[in-house]
Amino acid sequence: MEELIISIDNLKEIARELFNNDCRVIGTTAENKFKVIDDPEQLILNPNSVPTGSSFKEFFFPKTEPLFFYKQNNSSIDLIDPVIDKSRIVVIGAKPCDAAALPIISKVFNWDYKDDLFNTRNDNSLIIGMSCHYNDEFCFCNDVGGSPENRKGSDVFLKPLADNYFKAASVTPKGEAFIKEYQKYFEKDLGKNKPLVRKEENPNHFDYDKVKTWLDNNFENKFWDTAGEMCLGCAQCAFVCPTCHCFDIVDEQNGSCAGRRAKNWDACQFSLFTKHASGHNPRDNQEKRYRQRISHKFKYYNDKFDEILCTGCGRCSRGCPVSLDILQIVEEINSLSQKSNAI
Amino acid sequence: MNELKQICKDALSEKKARFIIGYKEDKNKRIKPFIAKTPEDAEQLTFNHHAVNNLAVYLPRFKNNVEGKIGIVVKSCDLKAVTALIQENQIKRDDLFIIGVNCSGVVLDIAKEFNKDNTQIKCKYCQAKTPPYYDALADESKDFEMPDDDQAELMAKIDKMTSDERLEFWNAEFEKCIKCYACRQVCPMCYCEKCIVEKSEPQWIDTSSTARGNFSWNIIRAFHMAGRCIGCHECERACPMGIPLTLLTRKMGMVASSEFGYRHGMSLTEPTLIGTYSTSDKEDFIK
Ligand code: SF4
Ligand code: SF4
Ligand code: SF4
Ligand code: SF4
Ligand code: SF4
Repeated sequence: MEELIISIDNLKEIARELFNNDCRVIGTTAENKFKVIDDPEQLILNPNSVPTGSSFKEFFFPKTEPLFFYKQNNSSIDLIDPVIDKSRIVVIGAKPCDAAALPIISKVFNWDYKDDLFNTRNDNSLIIGMSCHYNDEFCFCNDVGGSPENRKGSDVFLKPLADNYFKAASVTPKGEAFIKEYQKYFEKDLGKNKPLVRKEENPNHFDYDKVKTWLDNNFENKFWDTAGEMCLGCAQCAFVCPTCHCFDIVDEQNGSCAGRRAKNWDACQFSLFTKHASGHNPRDNQEKRYRQRISHKFKYYNDKFDEILCTGCGRCSRGCPVSLDILQIVEEINSLSQKSNAI
Repeated sequence: MNELKQICKDALSEKKARFIIGYKEDKNKRIKPFIAKTPEDAEQLTFNHHAVNNLAVYLPRFKNNVEGKIGIVVKSCDLKAVTALIQENQIKRDDLFIIGVNCSGVVLDIAKEFNKDNTQIKCKYCQAKTPPYYDALADESKDFEMPDDDQAELMAKIDKMTSDERLEFWNAEFEKCIKCYACRQVCPMCYCEKCIVEKSEPQWIDTSSTARGNFSWNIIRAFHMAGRCIGCHECERACPMGIPLTLLTRKMGMVASSEFGYRHGMSLTEPTLIGTYSTSDKEDFIK
């Protein structure tokens, strides 16, 4: 296939056309936050930017959404389905650690029950990923099967070139159709714009297989007594994370005899997360809850879905109020695994 | 710094404290809370401009579990939280071994260097860089340049707003809330074993992050802080959505002070504002 490039201005033109066609264009602006772009001029594609504070999962799996509404009519109760927004979602400029999360969480949303709400949005989406030139002490995509060039989850992938150009390639049939749809904005690559290169390679921090083996065998280990000791039990880490997908279901009244059943974000670091109706709580302290967080990410999800539930974006650590650093925790497990091998 | 380590080491080896809640530096040079349990652990304890956390948040955990004293490293501002917890009967003075640190200001953004523009506003108003009481005292306080109080300007602007404009301002802020409850978890004064948002029989506050649910949550938390917030700024620092939460708590603190002459966490023996009433109250309903 012929190699294509596109300028930032033309990407903005595509964004404008999409926006005019009632599509939800998601991208980052000067504040480095994912949001619905209503003015394409605001769109910024910066491969050197730190991952946004929150991931873009809220556009696929919102913090709260109705499952149905209810209303009592004399002796009967009417159940009203919510209107599912079927508009196309196009994310422009997702980092590899953002894009990779969608196929990962798609597995849990299609495991036994097929989640229509997630699937409708996911099916109607197109992800334009972009290689990443950022790296800080919290990043570790390459330790969890990713890389700054990883195309997993992207439909179209961009590589930054000189003079605000991007090399563009389709990754999926969806992406190919998209490039065809907007082909007038793409140009043939004549090699005039030199590729921008990363300053240095990302360091490797741990050996995932070793970490997994250690987790398989060390549910009871004194390491867990201190690993999560300082954790405050909030949900900052889970809610900013692109792969955390836990939710709670609640009924909420609105006026008399009417209300809704809603699906809301939830997180395993909350003390109520596993509290039984009897009052018993199997994860009755923060240390156990923190073990769950690490184990779900690096063991259970892999056992069940053959995916690591972490893309190494480092958001949870950057934002943790007590600076609990997930990478340092996994590195500690990595060195424990080496020690246990030595014996 | 060695002084702090030495004090803590001695306190642990002489069993003056069962353990010490303090700060350590991790391999990325981030300062984070840490519990030193042995004299060797105390080697890791440290303190500098990046020691922002209010460690008093950990105290209520040990409320019913004290054999020997709990050691805690506190800045002067954090000590207000300790005092307030004692005033509110959450912990006893005798159960604590307080290691005060002389403070020279702390950062606003932990990812950046300490300088005038990266200093917490509370440091500007800090009346004592040396904690007013302690069992041991470490470090020297150095002079530093005071930050500008940008918040005062915004507060004045909000004061001038009509109530509708104010509602609009706060609705726009609260809309961002994702109900991660980091503001609550990080707050030393939010120690309820069961928060009102967790009471589900009946459900008082919507758990959903809708406009209504967010408004109820943020306002109820603000109410519960009236005359109780000690101004550590931790809630706002922790909020991943950048909601200016201390605008509310600070304003309420100013009202408590101007209307009732009360500031929380300033005296171990003074009855709390919320926990007392006076027949000389200017409102009639109380009489
Ligand atoms: S690890 Fe940090 S962000 Fe996550 S729950 Fe604990 S304190 Fe909150
Ligand atoms: S666990 Fe942390 S590093 Fe991993 S994907 Fe979630 S936010 Fe990113
Ligand atoms: S880590 Fe916790 S919050 Fe995240 S998906 Fe797993 S169980 Fe849910
Ligand atoms: S409300 Fe905020 S500023 Fe006040 S004591 Fe709590 S965390 Fe500190
Ligand atoms: S920390 Fe911020 S986002 Fe989280 S619950 Fe509090 S106000 Fe909401």
